Amino acid sequence: MITIIITLIGSLLFALVAPVIGCLLAGIDRIISARMQGRVGPPLLQPYYDVRKLFGKENVSVNSVEHGYVVCAFIFACVAGGIFFTGGNLLFVIFVITLSSLFFIMAAYSTRSPYAEVGAARETVQVMSYEPMIILMAIGFFMAAGSFDTKAVFALDTPVISTIWLIFLGLLFVLTIKLRKSPFDLSMSHHAHQEIVRGMTTEMSGPTLGLVEIMHWCETVLFLGWVGLFFVWGQWFSVVIAIVVVLAVYFLEIWIDNNFARVKWQFMFKSAWAVALLAGGVNIAVLAFL
Amino acid sequence: MALQMIGFLVMFPLVVAALLLILRSDGIRSAIVWVSGIVVALASCAFVVMNIGAGEVLIEFSWEPLDHLCTAISCLIVVTILAFCVKYRNVWAALLAVVQLVAVIYFESAYGAEIDIPNGLYFDSLTLLMVFIIGVIGSGICIYAIGYMKDFQAHEPKGARDRRPTFFALMFLFLAAMFAIVFSNNMEWLFTGWEVTTVCSFLLIGYTKTPEAIRNAFRQIIMNLAGGIGFVVALYVSAISVGTLSFNEFISVGMTHPELTVIALIALAFAGITKAAQMPFQTWLLGAMVAPTPTSALLHSSTMVKAGVFLLIKLAPLFLVTPLASIMVMLVGAITFLLCSFMAISQTNAKRVLAYSTIANLGLITACAGVGTPEAVWAAGFLILFHAAAKSLLFLCVGTAEHHIGSRDIEAMDLLFDRMPRLARFMMLGIMCMFIAPFGMLIAKWAAIVSFVDMNQVALLIILAFGSAATFMFWAKWLGKLAGIAGQPEDVELTVHRSEWFAIMVMAVLVIVGCVLIPLISDFFIEPYVVSVYGFFGQDIATGNLWLASICVAVVVIVLFCGLGRSKARRVDVYLSGVSRDDSARSFQNALSGTTEATVRNWYMKEYFGEDRIAFVGVVFNSVLMAAVLACAIIGLPLGL
Amino acid sequence: MGYASRSPWVIHYDGSSCNGCDIEVLATLCPGFDGERFGVVNTGNPKHADIFLVTGSVNEQNIDVVRQIYDQMVEPKVVVACGICACSGGVFHDCYNVIGGVDQAIPVDVYAPGCAVRPETLIDAIVAGVKVLDEKEAALKEQKRAAKKER
Repeated sequence: MITIIITLIGSLLFALVAPVIGCLLAGIDRIISARMQGRVGPPLLQPYYDVRKLFGKENVSVNSVEHGYVVCAFIFACVAGGIFFTGGNLLFVIFVITLSSLFFIMAAYSTRSPYAEVGAARETVQVMSYEPMIILMAIGFFMAAGSFDTKAVFALDTPVISTIWLIFLGLLFVLTIKLRKSPFDLSMSHHAHQEIVRGMTTEMSGPTLGLVEIMHWCETVLFLGWVGLFFVWGQWFSVVIAIVVVLAVYFLEIWIDNNFARVKWQFMFKSAWAVALLAGGVNIAVLAFL
Repeated sequence: MALQMIGFLVMFPLVVAALLLILRSDGIRSAIVWVSGIVVALASCAFVVMNIGAGEVLIEFSWEPLDHLCTAISCLIVVTILAFCVKYRNVWAALLAVVQLVAVIYFESAYGAEIDIPNGLYFDSLTLLMVFIIGVIGSGICIYAIGYMKDFQAHEPKGARDRRPTFFALMFLFLAAMFAIVFSNNMEWLFTGWEVTTVCSFLLIGYTKTPEAIRNAFRQIIMNLAGGIGFVVALYVSAISVGTLSFNEFISVGMTHPELTVIALIALAFAGITKAAQMPFQTWLLGAMVAPTPTSALLHSSTMVKAGVFLLIKLAPLFLVTPLASIMVMLVGAITFLLCSFMAISQTNAKRVLAYSTIANLGLITACAGVGTPEAVWAAGFLILFHAAAKSLLFLCVGTAEHHIGSRDIEAMDLLFDRMPRLARFMMLGIMCMFIAPFGMLIAKWAAIVSFVDMNQVALLIILAFGSAATFMFWAKWLGKLAGIAGQPEDVELTVHRSEWFAIMVMAVLVIVGCVLIPLISDFFIEPYVVSVYGFFGQDIATGNLWLASICVAVVVIVLFCGLGRSKARRVDVYLSGVSRDDSARSFQNALSGTTEATVRNWYMKEYFGEDRIAFVGVVFNSVLMAAVLACAIIGLPLGL
Repeated sequence: MGYASRSPWVIHYDGSSCNGCDIEVLATLCPGFDGERFGVVNTGNPKHADIFLVTGSVNEQNIDVVRQIYDQMVEPKVVVACGICACSGGVFHDCYNVIGGVDQAIPVDVYAPGCAVRPETLIDAIVAGVKVLDEKEAALKEQKRAAKKER
C-alpha cells in the first residue's frame, strides 16, 4: 500500500518538476546547437514560450480520440518517472515507458494521415530497435546491484558502472534513438521540422502538440536519470558526480545530433541490435559466468 | 464430494456430445449448447471455489474395467485414424498408428494388470487453474460457435451437408478429454485423454474436407502420433524402471532419483513439445488455421496446446534435477519463442499472426518449465492463464470481424475502430494484454526474467530481450491498424450474433479481472501450487508492484472503453501536402488536377523476418538438438551419467 | 507581449515565384540572419505554423493550394506576402493565367515588397506580423471566455 502511495506522490511530483528541468535542458540544447552552427540561437526559455503559445492556439483535431491517447502517453510517462525516482523497480519503469510510447504510436495511427502513419511505423521500428538493449540494461543492473529497485544503488560500495560499463556504452548508443536525436530521429525530428512533415506529430496541433512537447521533456529527464543511475553509490557526493556525467552525456548527444546525418532505418535497426547483442550479451555473460 | 464433481466434469460433456449427435435440429442444438456450456462453466467455477488454495489432493479411485475401457478407447482411436488413412491413402499416418496400436495392446497385456494404482485421480492448484480455463473459456468458445457456425453454414455452397452436430459433439468431447487429462493421476488414463484430444483436433481441422484441410489434418495427426509414441515409450520406461504408473509417484521418484526417469522424462517432454507445437512441429498448428475459427480458438487457448504445456509444467521439478532434459526443453522453447516472434512480423493474415504468437508464447512457457525453478513455474502459470484468456478473446474477435468485413487480412481491418467500434475495442484489449505491461503477460515475462537471471541462463535472457522487441513490433502495428478513425463509415456491427457477443464479453471480463486481480490469483492459485511442489516460494516481484500494475490496467481499460472519443475539438481534415479531395478516402488533387488516393500499408519486413528464411533455421536447430539430447541420454544411461 | 509573438513558427509556400524570394526567405532562417533568435522556426506543416509566408503570385493552378494551406493553419494565424509578386502580382500581373497577389485568395496581414524581398524586410515583416498575431491571440482568448460565460 505504501509503495503505491509513494509512487503516486512521486509521479505527481515528477509531473511538476520534470517539465521544468526538461524545458531548461531543451533550451540549453537549442542554444548549444545554434552555437555549434555558428548562430546566436533563441533565448533559454524558448521551449517554454513555444509550449505556452501552443496551448493558446485553437483546439482542433482530425478525430475524437487523438488527444486522449496523447494524454494517456503523458500520464504513463509521468508514472514511469515517478516509479524511477522514488526508487522503484527498473524493469517496471521500462514496461510503463513502453506503454507510454505505445499510446503515442496509437495516437499517430489513429489519425490515418499517411505522414503520421509512416512516422508511427518508423516509431515501432525504433522501439523494436532499442528495446533489447534497454531490457538487457535492466537485467545487467539487476545482476550488478542485486535488485531491480533503483534505490538499491544507495547501498552499494561501488557504482554499477564498474561492472556493467559495456552495457552503459550500449545504452549511450540507443539513448540517441530514445532522445530522438539525429542520426536516429526517423519518426519525428526536431530539426527544421521538415522530415516527412514531422512524422508522428503531423496531425497534432495546438494543445495536443504542446502536451507532446512536455511529455518529451519528461522522457528526457527520465532517460538521463537512467544514465545517472550508473554512477550513484553509497556516498552522498556520488549524486553530484552522476549529475555531472549526465550533463556531459547530454552534451555528447547534442554533439552527435549536430554532426551526423539521418540514417536509413535498416542501419538503425541492424546496428542497434548488433550493439545490444555485443554490449548487452557479452556483459551479462561475463557477470553470469565470471 | 470432490470425486463426484470430477466425475461430473468429465462425464457431463460426454453426455452432451452424445445428445448433440442424436438431436440434430438447429433450435434444440443451440439450446443444449447454451445450457450445457453455462452448466460446465458454473460447475468448474464451483469446483475451483470449493477447493481454492488446495495443495496436492490425491483421490483414492481405481476401477479395473476403466483401465480396459481406456485401452479400448485408445484402440478405437487408432482404428478411426486408420480408416481415414485408408480413405485418403496416407501411409505415414497409418504406419505410426499401427506402431502405436501394437505398443498399447502389448503394454496393456504385459504391464496393465500388474501395476495397481490406488490413487487414480488427483488435483492441485494448477489443476484448478486448468479446470477454470477449460470450463469457462472452453465452454465460452462452444457458445460462441453457435452464432459463428450459423454464419459459417450460410457461407457454404448450397446443398452442402450440414455437419454441425458432429462439430459441436467434437467440441464437447474435447472438453471432456481435457478434464480427464488434468485430473488423471493414472498415466494410462492421462494417455487416453491425450490421444482423444489428438484425434478430436484431427477431425476438427479436417472439418471442411477441402484438400487443404485434409492435408493439414494429416500433418497434425502424424506429428501428434509421433508425440503419442513418445508418451507410450514413457509409459514403458516408467513401468519397467520405476515400477509405477502413478504420475505423482513418478515425479517424486524422479526428484530423488533422476537417473531412473531420465529417458521417460525426455520421452514425455517430447510428447509435450509436439502437442505444444514447438519448433520443429510448429507447422501443424499453423495448418490448423484452415478450420472454422472456434476450432482455432479452442486449440490455441484452452485445450490441445495447453495440454502440452500443462504436462511440461507438471514435469518442471524433474527438469530442475535433470540437466539433459532441461537443456532440451529450455532451448527448444526459447528458440521457438524467438523465431516465431520474428516470423509473426512478416504475416499479413491475422489468424497466422495469432498462430505464431501462440507458438511463441507456448515456447516461453516451455522454456520456463525447462528452467524448473519455483519462480519460473510461477511465471509459466500466469502465462497459461493470460494467454488462454487473451488469445481466445482475439480469436473470437477475428472470427466475428472476418464474417462482417469479409477478410482476415490485417490490412483489411483498417478503420475497424469506426466500423465495428465495440469489437475493435475488445480486440485492442486482447492485443494489449498479449504484449504490453502492466497486463498479465508482461508481468509473467518479468518473473521469467528474474528466474532466468537466478539460474544464470544468459542465452535465455538474450533471447527474451530480442523476442520481446519483436513482439512489440507485430502487435503494435496491428493495434495501429485498428486504431484508425476517419469520417463516418457505416456500422456493420449490428448483425453480430448474441452468442458471439456473450462469449466475447466473457473473455474480455476474464482478461480485465485477471489482470486487475493478479496479486490475488498469485496468492490463491499459483503460489499454492508452487508451494505444494517445491515446499517453499520466494519471488522478487513485490506485491506492491503487482498492485501498481493492476491500477495501471484499470486506467487503461477505463480509457479504452469510456474515455476515448469524448474530445470536443473542432474537426479538421488530415494534411496531404496539397489540396485534399475526400478526407475519409485520403484522396488529394494530383499534379494533373486528377484525384489520387493515398494508401499506407504496414511494414512486414519480409527480407529480414520472412518465413522462408527463419523457419528452416529453427526446424533444423531444434531437431538436431532433440536428437542429440536423446542420443546422449541413451548412450549416457549405461555409463551411469 | 503574448506568447504567440515569442514563438512565431512559419510555413513557406512558393506560389509561382522565380525562386528569388524563396532563397531570401530561407536566408532569413539561416545562420547569417538567424531567425531563431526571435523564436522563428521553419515548419513544413500548416498545422504547426503561425505565420504563412507566400512568395510569388496566385494563379489558377495554385489558388486552391494556397487556400487549403491557409485553412489548415490553426488560429491565431497571420499571412505575410513576401515580395512584390505576392503583394500584387508584380511584373506578371497582366499574364493570362495570373489572378494577382495573394490577397486575391486569402486575407493578407503584412505586405513585404521587394524584388527579391530582402531578409531585413522579411524580419521586419515577421515582427509586424507578430504584433497582429498577438492581437488575434488576445481576440481568440476573449472569444473563448465569452463562450465559457454563455455556457
